[in-house]
Amino acid sequence: MASNIQEKAKKALGEFTKRQLMELDTCSHCALCTDMCPAYNESKNVLHAPGVRTSKLVKLYDKKHGFWTKLFGEKEITEKEIEELAESTYHCSLCGRCMESCPFGFQTHELWIKAREIVDSLEASPENVIRLAGLMDENMNPYGLEPDTRLDWSFFTDLDDAPELDEAEIAYFVGCTTAYKGANHDVAFAICSLLENQGENWTLLGEDEWCCGAPSVMSGKTEEAKKYAEHNVELFESKKIKRVITGCAGCYRMLKFEYPVMLGRKPNFEVMHAVQYLHEQLTTGRLEVEQGKEKIIYHDPCELGRLGGIIKEPREVLAKITSELIEFDEHGVDSKCCGGGGLLQSVNNDMRLNIVKEKLDEAVEKGAEMLVSACPACKLAFVDGVREFKHDIEIYDIHELIAKRLGVSD
Amino acid sequence: MNGTTAALYTFFVETLPYITILVFLVGMFLRVTRWSSAPKDHQNPKMDLVDSIKYVILDVMLFRKTFRRDKLTWLLVFAFHGSIGGILFGHMRGFHLWSASIFDPFGHWMTEFMIHTLPIYVGYTLIITTFLLLVRRFRLEDKQLSSLSNDYIALILLLIAAIVGQGMRLFPPESVPTEIYNVVFIPRLIVLHLEVVPSYHWFHWHVLMTQLFVMYTPFSKYIHILTGVITPAIYGSRRKELGI
Ligand code: SF4
Ligand code: SF4
Repeated sequence: MASNIQEKAKKALGEFTKRQLMELDTCSHCALCTDMCPAYNESKNVLHAPGVRTSKLVKLYDKKHGFWTKLFGEKEITEKEIEELAESTYHCSLCGRCMESCPFGFQTHELWIKAREIVDSLEASPENVIRLAGLMDENMNPYGLEPDTRLDWSFFTDLDDAPELDEAEIAYFVGCTTAYKGANHDVAFAICSLLENQGENWTLLGEDEWCCGAPSVMSGKTEEAKKYAEHNVELFESKKIKRVITGCAGCYRMLKFEYPVMLGRKPNFEVMHAVQYLHEQLTTGRLEVEQGKEKIIYHDPCELGRLGGIIKEPREVLAKITSELIEFDEHGVDSKCCGGGGLLQSVNNDMRLNIVKEKLDEAVEKGAEMLVSACPACKLAFVDGVREFKHDIEIYDIHELIAKRLGVSD
Repeated sequence: MNGTTAALYTFFVETLPYITILVFLVGMFLRVTRWSSAPKDHQNPKMDLVDSIKYVILDVMLFRKTFRRDKLTWLLVFAFHGSIGGILFGHMRGFHLWSASIFDPFGHWMTEFMIHTLPIYVGYTLIITTFLLLVRRFRLEDKQLSSLSNDYIALILLLIAAIVGQGMRLFPPESVPTEIYNVVFIPRLIVLHLEVVPSYHWFHWHVLMTQLFVMYTPFSKYIHILTGVITPAIYGSRRKELGI
């Protein structure tokens, strides 16, 4: 195989950090994490098991940087190994559930992102992932839609006047999956209506809003994601924003946890998920809702719960609007993924749908009338699942539900 | 002790330990160099001692995560690691790190049970669970896991060390019991105090296997004995930081 690929592989493998390398060396390939992996459970393909990914990675690492390479030289990484790594790495929703079953608590989310960086450097990313990277470059969003259509969602809702101020206290960062996907337009409208209802001094960023950069990170192009971080942070800071609110779990994680790392500094604003804002308003008495009796089941978005630490707030919000809040058997940090993350849709949509089916089956079995989440990617997965498998359950985003209950949106 | 036995004794007990320590130290040096030459982590949580210890105990020592999902596998891994812990603890008495008198407050029967009876069962537990883990690995190979050769070597080495160790207990010693029998690995530093003179056949194998185990640690999956407390400590601190 071309020697420049070998060189690139060596360089990329050499970028495992100290902790990640220690994690790879510590992994006992025990398969205690396999049962928890939604991707593996769906396919039963050994390559999709998290512990197998670590074995593959450590084998490749040792071929280029192992103890014996100093004495006997490096070994060539084969085409087959590269294909297997790509297959393994992209059949993963980056849900982080394997971290919760690994006794050693490896930070697998970061490890799998690093694996994708390696696959990218080996030029082995799946076709759709490569296409997505191109779309990001052209349009600053992963859907290939013109940046000036970013606010078009407001035409489909009752938002009369979408504010785009030069300065404001709060900025609502809509996010691409909310702005460009029809199923989520009501989510954007609901959050805007709530901010309006609460009399906040708030603004949208309009077409100046760029993707948060998560799709770049998930396609192994972490360096490129930096430009999104720089642009968005600059924009917020130029508008003297004090609080950035987003309704998307993926954007929340990027803005809150990844941006400071990418930029090497803490931005001058606070980042909040909209559900935290709702929680704050409801618990301080600035907002009141009537409690109903709908049987609601809450799905923890992986990036919000397990990877973002927001677990109790959505439950406390939902408890205000229903006396019949029920739980999935595995919830909170243990929550099963809906399949909507990690670019799984663009790599293997059947797998994504089969993962979401399991969640829908359980929700229906438990008699839930509504399945509620707090992430547009999760909502999209559930909506697609209901359409595909004809489940009899309503799908809502938590903000939509609250806005509806308050009568500030339909 | 005849001539051959004496020569083997000299090699396994008096020479090999120096080689073992040297290989272990060189291995650890290489391992640490491997990690330290890697790029710095961008994101590490602020370490929280209490939470770190909590997760090391819950997740690594008690295998809480496995317990919650699969009781049978939990029993296997817990019994395996527990028996290793028990055996290591037992050996420490031979190295005079503790004495049987700690059980005296519970009566003579308890002391007898803890230092003579229980270790036999713990030895069996280790042999059986190591064997079962090998079978499990073999059965899951290419289905749920993809082992490196050292995953098997490590288990096989441990299994042999456990079998010969148990053999020492079960087969009568060659000599009559003595008050105390000292095995001087490294004078004044590593001295094993035994209550009986061991059967040299079993003893030599056991000492060899144990030392191979120590030598192999830095180069194999055994390294998780040392690093297995670091990663869950980071995990615990991270959870604390996220507030979960
Ligand atoms: S992050 Fe989720 S999908 Fe990916 S390997 Fe871990 S458990 Fe499986
Ligand atoms: S549970 Fe942890 S140690 Fe075991 S295979 Fe999975 S990642 Fe590796």
